[in-house]
Amino acid sequence: MQRRKFLTNLGRDKPSTAPRAHVQGVPAAGSPGPSVFTNALLLTHENKQVRFYDDLIRGRQVLITLMYATCEGACPAITLKLLKVYEELKDRMGKDLFLYSMTVKPEEDGPADLKHYAEMHGVYGLPGWTFLTGDPYDMETIRYNLFRMDHIGVDTDIYSHTSFMKIINDSTNRWLHVDPMASMSTVLRKISWADPPKTRQQIMAENKKLQEKIDKERKVYGYRKDA
Amino acid sequence: MSKPQGRKNKEIRKKEGEVSRRSVLKMGAAAGAATVLSPIILTSKKSSVYGQTGVAEPILCAPTPVPQSPPHTPFLDNLPVPSPAVPQFLFPIPTKNANIGGGEAARDPHQRWEEFTPAVTYQLDLKASTHQFHSEYLPSYGWGFNGKYPGPTILNAYGIPSLVRFKNSLPDPTLSFGTPLTTVHLHNGHTGSESDGFAGDFFGTGLFKDNHYANAYAGIDDFGGFPKGDPREAMHTFWYHDHLMAETANNNYLGTNGVYIVYDQTDPPWEFNTPGSLRLPAYYGLTDFPLVFLRQRFCPTDTVNGRTEKFQVVGAGTPGTDKVCVNGKIQPKLSVRRRKYRFRMVNTGVTAAVSVRLVGPDGAQKPMTVIAVDANFLRHPADVSATTTPAQLDIHVASRFDVVIDFSQFSVGQSAYLAEVGNPQFVSNPPPPDPAPGLPIGNVLMRFDIIGNPIIPDTPPIPDTLVELPPIPAGETYFEWGFRNIAGNNPPGNFRVTHSAIPENDANHDATFLPFDPFRTDHVVLKGTTETWAIRNDTMLGNWLHPVHIHLEEGRIIEKTICNTPNADGCNPANRTPVTMPPWEDGNNARRDVYPTQGQERFVIRLAFRDFVGRYLIHCHNMGHEDAFMMVRWDVVDSVAELRRRREQINAERIARGDTPLYRKEDLG
Repeated sequence: MQRRKFLTNLGRDKPSTAPRAHVQGVPAAGSPGPSVFTNALLLTHENKQVRFYDDLIRGRQVLITLMYATCEGACPAITLKLLKVYEELKDRMGKDLFLYSMTVKPEEDGPADLKHYAEMHGVYGLPGWTFLTGDPYDMETIRYNLFRMDHIGVDTDIYSHTSFMKIINDSTNRWLHVDPMASMSTVLRKISWADPPKTRQQIMAENKKLQEKIDKERKVYGYRKDA
Repeated sequence: MSKPQGRKNKEIRKKEGEVSRRSVLKMGAAAGAATVLSPIILTSKKSSVYGQTGVAEPILCAPTPVPQSPPHTPFLDNLPVPSPAVPQFLFPIPTKNANIGGGEAARDPHQRWEEFTPAVTYQLDLKASTHQFHSEYLPSYGWGFNGKYPGPTILNAYGIPSLVRFKNSLPDPTLSFGTPLTTVHLHNGHTGSESDGFAGDFFGTGLFKDNHYANAYAGIDDFGGFPKGDPREAMHTFWYHDHLMAETANNNYLGTNGVYIVYDQTDPPWEFNTPGSLRLPAYYGLTDFPLVFLRQRFCPTDTVNGRTEKFQVVGAGTPGTDKVCVNGKIQPKLSVRRRKYRFRMVNTGVTAAVSVRLVGPDGAQKPMTVIAVDANFLRHPADVSATTTPAQLDIHVASRFDVVIDFSQFSVGQSAYLAEVGNPQFVSNPPPPDPAPGLPIGNVLMRFDIIGNPIIPDTPPIPDTLVELPPIPAGETYFEWGFRNIAGNNPPGNFRVTHSAIPENDANHDATFLPFDPFRTDHVVLKGTTETWAIRNDTMLGNWLHPVHIHLEEGRIIEKTICNTPNADGCNPANRTPVTMPPWEDGNNARRDVYPTQGQERFVIRLAFRDFVGRYLIHCHNMGHEDAFMMVRWDVVDSVAELRRRREQINAERIARGDTPLYRKEDLG
């Protein structure tokens, strides 16, 4: 009964003191929606038209990274790492977790270029991993809205945030970021922070597991290796 | 329809909780334990939603266009004084090993537990609440320890070990921009790493974590006596704050911090003459005030929901701010009498410095005296006035300055102003007239009203020499940290820290620019040794000041230089010119834990690593930068064999990822 009560509170304009439920697929009450994400019409690497918020973000947990097709610096390493992250989360990708790689050079990168990039890095055709391009104004707006740090010098440099991966769950309104070049356990932990809220039992069980890991590490290595 | 009833139920529940807590004081321990535990048992039976405090979650205002904060009338509110934390018995009883079954977060066992059995214990419950930042504002949603902003001030004494149980009761999920996980750092406590609030040691809603504070001077191993340790290592003004990896700025902006003061014989909580006392203004809340600065921006007042929410775009860094709060009020006033007062200034950021000066009713700058920096007494106190260099006090994020202001220089009925240099805040449109000639109202942080002659007799003049500092550590080995903003696409990145064990050798710094990772150690030191560390800010000349913070130990600055003609990949040592240090930086006069490093500046400091082992951090304390991974884990180990093993391992890891080995043969121990 309690549960039904808070379900009906969802989407109300007024903040409610009732417990908030989380329903995957439904935007959280405080989701900024298209006002931040925009609902721009973008093109995928399959040359499919999508609305950024309605089709890609609404109610979903997503990972968003920046790239461009001719990038030869650290992009290959990052893409390789993203592939490893993808493989770790394969069971969820395309179902309740989505990965979007957005180009910072939309004027250069058409859908075919993105497809070529995906093929070149061996990530083409993976369910839930979409490369995106679009009108440069829209792409720049999205990049700025999602990746800005309110540091003008940094925010106007399109390369400055290429190492950030945004972790956003629109159904809990959780926004986080991680550098994909951090260790796998850090990346996975950060992604999990945006997961649907855990029950107390889950938190207690995870805590117990962590303590077992700490005790084992101290025994085996003599220090917190955290590996 | 059924909503009001739900709310009523919750109120009743809350009341019950309060009653049971109060009754603990009357009842015996066993009965108390049962009543305190009962709400926990009840909660665990309920559904998956917990951490509710009955505080409505915020509805954030539209992110664009960036709103201007609502106008306010200056000097309407009195300066609040954060109330002292009340010691209490803890159930379950604190234990050396984490009490997993009792709901404690996983951690290493407390170090030196038997040696420093906690004599005073506190519980600080981190939860959602509202706080009114100005009486013309409606309450704003925030997170605070015991629901307060600033959190309760913990008043402790050297020789009396304490333990603070930090409980996470944050709402999960939350509609705010914070992340409902926490790890609490006592800045810059000399504590074991398990109590240090390491950025990776976070815990979720429903768990608690006991931080054990020995309240002993550094040098426990070398100095006996009581209190243990070297009394010259005394530190007094600390602050505690959330240190959650990559989310510190948002959580602190929501209010997760407070002040922690440790007294001793030299700096007791009274002013009358006792042996060894410096006789400084010392009555907390009467003649001794913490001043906690926080820059903010607010949404337009929402009368429907009864809120003036803090402005923040979820996940989009820290907003440009247009209000400065002192102890949680915008432009407050404080009634003072014609005598000396001590102000413990803490800049909680979250990103920008606060530069202060004292202005009299005639608009002229008046002197104030710096007695301590970063919790450490200066050897010789230093005046800040119109004739000193610098003529202002730059308080960088996380820095603390203890300042004595003598109001006997003013007459009764006059007002003086704590003013900020540059960065005027928004007051109203049109702004009220200047409070003093040539002092724009937007530059005023707070007002002091001189209401009379002292009731509590004034303290004697501040001694010319406050304390003798411990000797500067020898600095047996050298280590260099490069703070960089890596722009451009090869490699891409952000705020990174690079390392080298060879002085001024750029080839030895990492080229892979890895981000902060709690799972990766970038430097290992041996307990009981001293090191010379260089902190380089390798960003552009005059750009990006990084207030670099080192956990665990205070440092002594022996050299500060700037590179005026940097070349592409660093600085030719011949191009470094010395920078004159203010008295609160010079290692002969001060000890620091925050090193404000300008672009192309380089601090050389000496540190001793003592008493505790484990994982510690060095990071930029601009919280936006530390959240962008400008942070590194370094470890203290307690044997040479372990040092060698760990350093060899770091070398191997670096070679494996294509960097040069960090340590030379002679560095391996």
